[in-house]
Amino acid sequence: MKIKDFSRALAEFWTEFRKSASGLIGLGILVVSLLVVIFEPIILPWRDANTKWRNIDYWIDNSAGAPPAWTNLFAKEKKAVTTRLESPGRVESDMEGGGKLVTLTFPYSFTADRAPLDLIFRATINGDVPVTVNVDRPDGTSIELASHFEQGLSNQGIRVTVNNEAKDSTFAFVKQFLSDETLSSMSSGTLEPANIVFSRADAAMAGKFAALKGDYKLVVKAMVFDTANSSIADPFFVVSGSASGILGTDDMKRDVFSGLLAGLKWALLIGIMTSAISVIVGVLYGITSAYFGGVVDSVMQFIYQVVSSMPLLPVLIVVSAIFKPSIWFIVMVMVLFFWTGSVMTVRSMALQLKEETYIEAAKALGSNNRRIIFRHMLPILIPYSFASMALSVPSAIVYESTVSLLGLGDATIVTWGQILHDAMAGGAVLNGVWWWIIPPGLLIAVMGMTFAFLGFAMDKILHPKLQTR
Amino acid sequence: MYKWFAAKRILKGVAIYAIIIFLLSALFNTVSETTQRSQIEEQIRLEQTKLKNLLPAQLMAFQAERRASLIKQYKLDRPFIERIVFRTIDILTLNFGKSMNIKSSKGERDVASIVGETIPRSLILFSVAAAINIALGIFLGLKQAQRPGGKLDRTTSLVTMIVYGMPVWWLAMIIIMFFVYTLKLFPSGGIHSVPTPTGIMYFLDMVWHIILPLFTLIVLGFWGTSYVTRNIVLGILQEDYIMAARARGIPENKVLFGHTMRTAAPPLMTMAILGLLGSIGGAIVFEGIFSWPGLGNLYWIAVQQNDVPVLLADLAITVGLYQMGLILLDLIYGFLDPRIKVGGKA
Repeated sequence: MKIKDFSRALAEFWTEFRKSASGLIGLGILVVSLLVVIFEPIILPWRDANTKWRNIDYWIDNSAGAPPAWTNLFAKEKKAVTTRLESPGRVESDMEGGGKLVTLTFPYSFTADRAPLDLIFRATINGDVPVTVNVDRPDGTSIELASHFEQGLSNQGIRVTVNNEAKDSTFAFVKQFLSDETLSSMSSGTLEPANIVFSRADAAMAGKFAALKGDYKLVVKAMVFDTANSSIADPFFVVSGSASGILGTDDMKRDVFSGLLAGLKWALLIGIMTSAISVIVGVLYGITSAYFGGVVDSVMQFIYQVVSSMPLLPVLIVVSAIFKPSIWFIVMVMVLFFWTGSVMTVRSMALQLKEETYIEAAKALGSNNRRIIFRHMLPILIPYSFASMALSVPSAIVYESTVSLLGLGDATIVTWGQILHDAMAGGAVLNGVWWWIIPPGLLIAVMGMTFAFLGFAMDKILHPKLQTR
Repeated sequence: MYKWFAAKRILKGVAIYAIIIFLLSALFNTVSETTQRSQIEEQIRLEQTKLKNLLPAQLMAFQAERRASLIKQYKLDRPFIERIVFRTIDILTLNFGKSMNIKSSKGERDVASIVGETIPRSLILFSVAAAINIALGIFLGLKQAQRPGGKLDRTTSLVTMIVYGMPVWWLAMIIIMFFVYTLKLFPSGGIHSVPTPTGIMYFLDMVWHIILPLFTLIVLGFWGTSYVTRNIVLGILQEDYIMAARARGIPENKVLFGHTMRTAAPPLMTMAILGLLGSIGGAIVFEGIFSWPGLGNLYWIAVQQNDVPVLLADLAITVGLYQMGLILLDLIYGFLDPRIKVGGKA
């Protein structure tokens, strides 16, 4: 019976709600965001963005301050996009005198006008495995870029960057094409190896960069002498370009899109948790105050007045600055202020409700106060608070971001406000790094809009006076 | 009658403010005492350097004696409750002590003057913005309520919802990025150029500086006002006496501005002042983005420099202004709504 009642009420609500286009849009965005949160592990481009957001090593292969990859569509000079080359062609051949030569070939098709900033080879090596990194260029030439050997590794990662380790070899390559006169003004120290690798090989290559487009092959040769104890695993190349990902990278080389995705669940959690708890507390408070009346009502009203005459944000900022709280503490402080929002409306409704005859009947039948409040009054008043629940979600999100913007957020998680704080501190406004500033704020605004759509749509259904004639 | 109502409300406001300050003093007791002790040590070190030719034992004795007397002077030797009460009284009498690092524009380290000089700057910005927002919002809201469901009503409601959760400081960042660093039309922040011009240019210079923050506050501000105005007015327009007025042939504009607005005035006023208070409480961080040297910017500076006395004083002043706003709100409400003046039930 109860479930039937509930589902009928829900169906009634839905027929009304369906009429509001903005309400439906809000619901749609909410559902999509919930789906994104659920499938986050699959969508997230950088798997460990949640835990390693502040770990510099994790982001080291990216380029700093790179604009989004799609900006190439509007740019005259296309930038190379950061890509990860995985699963190379692997050929193993026996070497003279024992051991195996593992040849890993990574094909890379280069079509941009500007060279990547760096080429980085990474692998996990066990034992003693010397590696050499070569590149076969589309014009038939090839360069032996670097050789790298670390002794006695036990399943440790190696990192070979062309920028650091191929200066001499690329200089030797350049020498073949340039006159002695130009060479005398150059040195291997000032050379940018990645530029040479992707440059047209002719007498002009010392000057402006001219891209040699086509299919490159990055070839890594690893010599595994002792096949029993040595091995090379998980090899991959990172082509670190000056454009990166869906939303670019920030000053600390972090992928902005990953950060935003990681922040979504926190925004939803903070918003929904704060508003749900505080509305439930507020409704109960209002009902209790109205139901008991007299001294209880006066005292509760006074407490309500004291709390509601404190401005939330300044208090929250000072509390965060002094106690350096976790996100749960921040949510708790917000609840401490937010519950006042629904008290007055609920109280005035409860004042009418408690005079109803069925409440009187329940009393006459010997119901205790708790039963009357929870079984007879709360179910009627809760639906009215759904609208205010939805409408207080955006403020909770904005308050948390504001505290984070000041650099006072919980440093163990990633939130949009913290990304904006980093952007402020990193001079993104000054340097026009729009992909670092616009998306996080836009997401905050879109979340606010979503819950405003939902809240206003519910408000209209619950308070028919506002309906347009 | 109104006099009594006003006196009662003011007294109640003061009492609530005292309670809030007491609670905050208790909450931040440990941190402010730590600061006070470190300031005492600093003062002893300062006095020590003026002394000469002292034996180590004498020096130790001097330090101990000074420390004891200063601790007594700051009442740090009293019981917990007493200390909080004394701190509450100190704050209520605007006796905030000295800052750690921050100095006022005159170079003083007196917290009261540091916070005091920021108040007018904040008030200028936010009250001008609020006045414009209220005027725009009420005008737009009335127009919306006149034709509910019309094109204007629908678009305005939509925009209201779109900007509902937009952080004003984020918009400020975007606006600065575009108008200051791309178009190079306005200064990036502050209230005056350096060096500050004099005469009429002083005023124009300030206007030039205030335009962007003001614009930002207004662009986001009036939508909420217009939406609430619309709802209040829409509710009143459905009352019988409005229908009666229309039936008597009273012109629509008179119905709207005479009959409807008179009834709508108290709630509209409430909303308008609450909006202003909301901006004191809510958009306070926004000042930091524009480096507008008001109360909000002071939070940024105090947080960055970890200057606890300034932070706490800033909080006390902000809460005080908020409280004053609430009192003012009720006084105006009582003035506009005759039922409250005579003590009847609303």
